Amino acid sequence: MMTLIIGGSGSGKSAYAEEYLLAISEDKRKYYVAAMQACDEESRKRIERHRRMRAGKGFITIEQPVRIQDAAAHMEAGERSALLECVSNLTANEMFGGGRKRTEEAVEAVVDGIALLGKKLTHLVIVSNNVFEDGCVYDEETMAYLRAMGWINQRLVAMADEVIEVAAGLPIVIKAGTDRRG
Amino acid sequence: MKLIIGGFAQGKLTYVLERDRSKSYRVLEGGCLRDTGITGEPEENNAVDKTETDGETVILNHFHLWVRNRLKADGDPEKEIRKFLDRFPDCVIICDEIGNGIVPVEAFERAYRERTGRIVTALAKEAEEVVRVVCGIGQRIK
Repeated sequence: MMTLIIGGSGSGKSAYAEEYLLAISEDKRKYYVAAMQACDEESRKRIERHRRMRAGKGFITIEQPVRIQDAAAHMEAGERSALLECVSNLTANEMFGGGRKRTEEAVEAVVDGIALLGKKLTHLVIVSNNVFEDGCVYDEETMAYLRAMGWINQRLVAMADEVIEVAAGLPIVIKAGTDRRG
Repeated sequence: MKLIIGGFAQGKLTYVLERDRSKSYRVLEGGCLRDTGITGEPEENNAVDKTETDGETVILNHFHLWVRNRLKADGDPEKEIRKFLDRFPDCVIICDEIGNGIVPVEAFERAYRERTGRIVTALAKEAEEVVRVVCGIGQRIK
């Protein structure tokens, strides 16, 4: 099963995604696959905030900034689910980190990586971002990033069994799946 | 309290005003309020402090601009909005969705965007109703 959860900054998408994963994974092993890298004080604080939110909920954290499929190698065998957070960081890392990729290559790397990871899990919950509605025209690199994110989200929606948008912490079902939360 | 969210220029205020024409409304403009008017000492230009509502439903419009101004003024929007709600428990709060874009370069803009989102998420939890307006059409999400 694959679930995509999308929302803007401060929309409450992460908290919702965590609750969602906790509700569906019962006592099975739960992993938190973090794509964000701590590069400055602000990102460290952000990561710390997310750690506190997850504390005591039984998540095992795996840091995986690129080649997201490799996260599976760090997981124990058996029934397991994971929360991948988040597609916007993963995409930026694939596009602009170390070995710089063309937009299309980055899109393939992200989408294929997520598909491969999903196949190895009972349930994969993916957090992605709505970065598309500020109406600004950015430099060429940022516009390429926006296009990449748009393509990736569309491919993930096609792949996912369920897609939920979160606004003000509230879920809006975009693509309905089977509700396994009871 | 009812919460209305949506993008810029989506007809949120019109949606609220036309939804129930039997009521009369008092619209407070979030971009102009110096603070909620009930924090600290009463001030000369304190609109809210002097507001007599006479059974009118209070609408706090452009809530995001109020948050922005309070952050610029080193205020405490999380705390101040509580006092506002104590005074006007049946109000309607209207807020733009401002989090759906590229992470801003400026630290203040990032903080403003994120804090507005978190405050709105907290308000949504206690709201009796949350409506998201797109192109003038309201979708009840709570």
